[in-house]
Amino acid sequence: MAWSKYKTEYIDSDRSPAGSLWVMKPLWKVFRFFCKTVVHRPVTILYPYEKMWMPENYRGRPGLRFDRCVACGMCAKMCPTACIKLVETEDASGQKVMRPQINLGRCAMCGYCAEYCPLDAMTVTPEFELAEYTREDLIYGPKRLAYEGATEKMEIHLEQTLMSDIKNGNSERRISPFKIDRPVLDAAKCISCKKCEKVCPVKAVKMVEHGVNEKGRPILYPEFNNDACICCENCVEDCPKDALRINEVL
Amino acid sequence: MGYSSILDWIIFKDVMDNAFYPFASYNLPFDISYKLWEIIGGLIAWLVNLLLPGNGLSTWLISDEVSNVFALVIFMIVIFAIAFVVTLISLWMERKVLGRLMDRRGTMIGLKGFLQCVADGLKTFMKENVIPRKVDKTTYMWTAALIIGTSVLIACMIPLSPRWFVVNYGTGLLIIMALFALAPFFILVSGWAQNNKYSLIGGMRAAELMISYEVPMLIMIATTCLLAGSFNINDIINAQFDTVWFIVPQIIGFITFIFCATAEAERVPFDIAEAEAELVEGWQTEYAGMKWGLIMLADYMRGYVSCAMVVIMYLGGWLIPFASADMNGWIPEIVFLLKVWLIFFIMILLRGALARVRTDQIVNIGWKVFMPLSVLNLAVVLVLKLGGVF
Repeated sequence: MAWSKYKTEYIDSDRSPAGSLWVMKPLWKVFRFFCKTVVHRPVTILYPYEKMWMPENYRGRPGLRFDRCVACGMCAKMCPTACIKLVETEDASGQKVMRPQINLGRCAMCGYCAEYCPLDAMTVTPEFELAEYTREDLIYGPKRLAYEGATEKMEIHLEQTLMSDIKNGNSERRISPFKIDRPVLDAAKCISCKKCEKVCPVKAVKMVEHGVNEKGRPILYPEFNNDACICCENCVEDCPKDALRINEVL
Repeated sequence: MGYSSILDWIIFKDVMDNAFYPFASYNLPFDISYKLWEIIGGLIAWLVNLLLPGNGLSTWLISDEVSNVFALVIFMIVIFAIAFVVTLISLWMERKVLGRLMDRRGTMIGLKGFLQCVADGLKTFMKENVIPRKVDKTTYMWTAALIIGTSVLIACMIPLSPRWFVVNYGTGLLIIMALFALAPFFILVSGWAQNNKYSLIGGMRAAELMISYEVPMLIMIATTCLLAGSFNINDIINAQFDTVWFIVPQIIGFITFIFCATAEAERVPFDIAEAEAELVEGWQTEYAGMKWGLIMLADYMRGYVSCAMVVIMYLGGWLIPFASADMNGWIPEIVFLLKVWLIFFIMILLRGALARVRTDQIVNIGWKVFMPLSVLNLAVVLVLKLGGVF
């Protein structure tokens, strides 16, 4: 073989036999890594005996603070896998109340229920060992959903920078901005059915009389207590004449 | 004839006083096995004598000739057990070090993971002995037996010290090399006999691997023997004690020989005959259960022998660096094994660092790199020898 051909075929290309013998670099790298791992111990964790450190807002199973919950149904509405259902249960004083029940067999651990809960009654928990013997055992009732030692960090808040804010030269991140949205009434459509007053979980809707109609019946329009409202949109959804809508405050 | 004490039957005689002592010089493992037989045989002889006083069997059992025969049987077991344990420790070391190289833990069962080897052995031992219907059964079994047999034989033939050997033969390194080079032929035949395409390709590759590394390896062995003036392992190491370790004049040969030894043991990056990523398990594909377990053990025994050859030829065998002859007599076996494991550690690093070579690359490397380097090494040694340095 001519030297020039040998040079182009072997020495200038990767096929150089001398190049394939040059192994000191990977060897040295591997040896250095070996020394490092001998000192710092391997990253593998012996799982059942050792546990990994979990951040507090780790998306484990959802947990419920029974007393804070007002049964607004926001979690059931937001759940992407539809595993949350409001069921009837008894609170501490023996009254019948509605509280969420979660089928953890369907739960995707996304944490949306905790994000959208207006009262932060739903939290995420670092609990992820949820194996059970039957599927029925995976359905967590309201009492079983309680999690001891739920901390402030386990409440998840939606953080958002609104377009309107940026337009006004204020780009701060707002925490759960939709909580300050409020329902407004289109009075021409209202038929005074009082449905909004019934469905409001925090009793923020009050029907106020605005004179009488031609038949002599009182005309009732809802008035909203904006401090008590949690913007769960139940009144908007249940209004039979679509007289209510949510007004985005910002 | 009345009651005789057990101490009349167990007499710890000096092994060298035995008229039929089979070795030329003192042999420690034979001494151990001789004493073991004196205890076992003396106990049997005493018991038989208690039942039947004055019989001939008892005196026959502890006579010089018979003691020698049984001591030799125990001697074989001792030698094999040591080679076996050394191999198991190498295996454990490979798993642990390889684990650390990948930032994981390696085996974790008992004694820092050592008992995993035992567990694996038990598991393969429990397996059903499956033989595929269409293999050539005679060849299939015989080649496996011969591969395992030659590997175990050379592992047992490695001397650990001047007092720990099987035979102190004049052609030491040559015999080991000859038996070492036999295995690829059996692998080729075995690959053919298994009636499986992967096995056949694996066997072909084993033969191809052998023609690429064997010639430079033998040249380097000849170089070392030229430098030492003998093929005897004892003489080679004594020559290194008199001058310097042969790694100093033969540094090129040392580096080349480590790669050749890796190829000889069919370890990564030269495991193209096995190549579990391309061929299923290479030439071992059709072997199941304990046959496969023994082949694996034989593989590691060959690794141990390769490392031992590097240590004997370049690193002064059982010599402690800069030590007097007195100090070298204390624990030569331990020193030797420590050096072997050091070389094995380098082989594990090679395994962790390098990717498997292609079949064309290994021939390229063997004939275009290893061959000139070994000849260069020979030239250097010749100049040193003719110049009167050694």
